Amino acid sequence: MANYFNTLPLREQLNQLGHAEFMDSAEFADGVNTLKGKKIVIVGCGAQGLNQGLNLRDSGLDVSYALRKEAIDQKRDSWKNATDNNFNVGTYEELIPNADLVINLTPDKQHTAVINAVQPLMKQGAALSYSHGFNIVEEGMQIRKDITVIMVAPKCPGSEVRAEYLRGFGVPTLIAVHPENDPEGKGWPYAKAYCVGTGGHRAGVLKSSFVAEVKSDLMGEQTILCGLLQTGSILSFDKMIEKGIDAGYASKLVQYGVEVITEALKHGGVSGMMDRLSNPAKIKAFQVSEELKDIMRPLFQKHQDDIMSGEFSKTMMEDWANGDANLLKWRAETGETAFEKTPAGDVKIGEQEYFDNYLLMVAFVRAGVELAFETMVEAGIKPESAYYESLHETPLIANTIARKKLFEMNRVISDTAEYGCYLFDQACKPLLTDFMKKVDTDLVGKNFNEGKDGSVDNVQLVQVNEILRTHPVEIVGTKLRKAMTAMKAIKTV
Amino acid sequence: MVYKNPPLTPPKEGNSSSPLGRLGGDFVHISHLNLQYAGQVVLDDLNWSIHNGENWVIGGKSGTGKTSLAKAIAGQEKFAGEITFHFNEQLNLPARAYYVSNWYQFTNLEGDRNFYYQQRYNKFQKNDTLTVYADLMHFGAKNNLQYADVEHILHALGFENCKDTQLIELSSGEHKKLQLVQALWLCPQLLIIDEPFTGLDKQSRANLLDLFDEISHKGTTLILITNDQHLPSCINRFAEIENGKLKVVQSASDFSQDNAREKKSLPYFLQREPAVTSQTMVELKNVSVRYGDKVVLKNVSWTVHAGEKWLLQGPNGSGKSTLLSLLNGDHPQAYASDIWLFGTKRGSGESIWDIKEKIGIISPEMHWYFDKSATVWHTIASGFYDSIGWFIDVKYEEKKQIEQLLDFFDLLPNKDQLLHTLPLGKQRLALLARTIIKNPQLLILDEPCQGLDIAQTTHFNAVVDELCAHGKTLIYVGHYESQLPSCIDHKLILERGEVIRDPSIAISSKVICK
Repeated sequence: MANYFNTLPLREQLNQLGHAEFMDSAEFADGVNTLKGKKIVIVGCGAQGLNQGLNLRDSGLDVSYALRKEAIDQKRDSWKNATDNNFNVGTYEELIPNADLVINLTPDKQHTAVINAVQPLMKQGAALSYSHGFNIVEEGMQIRKDITVIMVAPKCPGSEVRAEYLRGFGVPTLIAVHPENDPEGKGWPYAKAYCVGTGGHRAGVLKSSFVAEVKSDLMGEQTILCGLLQTGSILSFDKMIEKGIDAGYASKLVQYGVEVITEALKHGGVSGMMDRLSNPAKIKAFQVSEELKDIMRPLFQKHQDDIMSGEFSKTMMEDWANGDANLLKWRAETGETAFEKTPAGDVKIGEQEYFDNYLLMVAFVRAGVELAFETMVEAGIKPESAYYESLHETPLIANTIARKKLFEMNRVISDTAEYGCYLFDQACKPLLTDFMKKVDTDLVGKNFNEGKDGSVDNVQLVQVNEILRTHPVEIVGTKLRKAMTAMKAIKTV
Repeated sequence: MVYKNPPLTPPKEGNSSSPLGRLGGDFVHISHLNLQYAGQVVLDDLNWSIHNGENWVIGGKSGTGKTSLAKAIAGQEKFAGEITFHFNEQLNLPARAYYVSNWYQFTNLEGDRNFYYQQRYNKFQKNDTLTVYADLMHFGAKNNLQYADVEHILHALGFENCKDTQLIELSSGEHKKLQLVQALWLCPQLLIIDEPFTGLDKQSRANLLDLFDEISHKGTTLILITNDQHLPSCINRFAEIENGKLKVVQSASDFSQDNAREKKSLPYFLQREPAVTSQTMVELKNVSVRYGDKVVLKNVSWTVHAGEKWLLQGPNGSGKSTLLSLLNGDHPQAYASDIWLFGTKRGSGESIWDIKEKIGIISPEMHWYFDKSATVWHTIASGFYDSIGWFIDVKYEEKKQIEQLLDFFDLLPNKDQLLHTLPLGKQRLALLARTIIKNPQLLILDEPCQGLDIAQTTHFNAVVDELCAHGKTLIYVGHYESQLPSCIDHKLILERGEVIRDPSIAISSKVICK
């Protein structure tokens, strides 16, 4: 199979990359009607599979689960998840031939095997849905021309998709139709109805493409979302230990700090986060993050280049073929870091203290969000897509670190994200060696404001605020957050 | 030991050189206690001595600072002034003040608390929370307790069958019991319990009184915060808080009561009879629900016709909440059962929102998991959309209705306050307002008065009676006959998931027993 994106002429590459339109809620007025009475068969019953299925059924749709025969015979967790919630469960052979819509919610790595097994069984004119386009775009999977191929990708973990639905909301969702597979023109109505069934239409829907989703998703997860949070956390912890800060305090500040700091992003964007600092601290964080942006920009660009050229997916798939040798090695190494092995101390850290004593992370987050966003937009991805894959998801990933540090983050994210995260981390740490030598405890571990009188140069402050507030990620972020009239704070704490 | 702004855990050891003897001596001495909450004075130079051998009940009006006082003693609230403990080192009981709040709290295995109230009905293989047994083992290990010592407490509170239940699966009454079990097992020298009887069934409650006497006999000093008249016999002192100061009274019957509420007439839009979709609102035919080997409901058949007012009763854990979750579209097992709601069979293409729009529901679980960022106004507005604290675009007419209802429940001054910061009684009224704002055809009120005192309960039930006089159908869950709306005309009793025929209400002929 050839990389689909690389088979396209440049003009078509740019066209598909530039697909991003925030949809008006009026577009969902028809509700789930298009899928009413149709047979929906979900393949895979993990967190996304189960929770999306529960939502679709609660929206009045006919949902059952196709599992591999071994999973059923051995009563594996996927089988228990489906049967404990009273879903009809059957083998591929039993259920796929009657399905009007097959929803593939298995892990990325299994997609090729799953599609090869499912596709021959699908009836003429059926539809197939993905929640991530890697298989189509990077692996170049060819789907039978009579089959409609769509994507519905909630931008939250499965448990959140369910929780928000039952609260009467939903989570922001990205939908797409594969241009090579829309023979009857029913792709968009199907994707929209499916999206309504999960509650996504209440929280903001981005009309995207398979290509835009994959290229932006890979970029976001490797750089700001996972890679930089990992690098920044480890470097911050090590610096505090080097400078004699109590290990338990350092561990707690790093583990929970990233969540508290990025929580501010969710409501007020980068400037909202920076506004949590005192004026002198804000100016310092601005200067530090400017320096970080200069240092890290080439690395961000390299990641984007490798993603666009297919070099990243090629390397990773070689590791798949090699039994995940590198992935497993790197995962083990992360488990051995001092930060990972030091339990958070039994100390109370107030909410504001996380900002005042962890200015370095504020600078890392600003640098990472803006760099990821800028690099994606330069590569032809629309600001709306770039926003979702950088700023929007950062608090969600930070939440996993708060739960159980980096090991938990890497367990929760996909293997693809994890692989890219390690690549970034390994390249980023050496880049920051000289920078970190200059960092002292006023940036991480102690209150930056201590011993300062709080005065700043007014003109400088005005300029810093101006630069922060007029960055394109702030402009599009303000627009998107406002457009999501229905979006309330998605709980991460 | 004397301390100001106490550490989170009170001192382990008392002042052993104290000249005061055990009996009749000063056990806890509180002087010049001042406490503010959100800029308002709650406790104002309060003084109080608790002597050895005394067991207190603190009662009186709501919102006077009872909980704040309890938390201050337990070291969970910042205050100015002094609280001195003289723990008895001869006594083989933990030298600490232990506080049981009236709200239960637990986290999932990842330390997170992002639950939704229907979560316990959705099954996911990966366990999210500890089991009751694991939770107890954890508590026991932390406090050096022997498991053998807790078994009779579990038995007395009817809790021994819950050991393998996950915390998320417990009902509100069962959570209360778990808190009580831990406190009684710990048997600290000072035990403060906020509303100990909330949500308990009759038998557990009777046994709880004996358990209190038992630990008091062992040497525990009790402070109970309640307005209840049925108290353990060891209780011998009574007080309430007036203007931020402690006022000793003679008995529980002397507690001040909240001012009788000025009766207002029901807003006009609620005097209209709601549209009824089907004369048979609910029909369950031989419905069973089981989780693995655990049977929660067994062969339950039940029909509710339009206009009927049902009481649903049963001990904690008898399956009441599960039964109601089937009616409200909250339970995945409804899809496998023979259930008809408003004339439509479950799983025939209706969405849960089609069902919810016809029902006004309130339950302790919904209250507990309600959106912490919702104001009173948002809470009520969300009732139009059956969402938890969120709404799309409230129309002019709806805004008027919200205002009228705020006024009816005397909540206008609180409309922009966060729901969870109000006294419990007001929170319940706001949630009741959310429940009725859309004038639903079916009201499901699951222990709506849990945590309210008698006066508040009476007022609340009078409102329910008035609503029901205007054509609503009612399903009401309450443990105590004396605290029910008078409109009730049918009764369903559940025990261990099965329907029990109750002779006391003659018209319960529609209850089919198996």
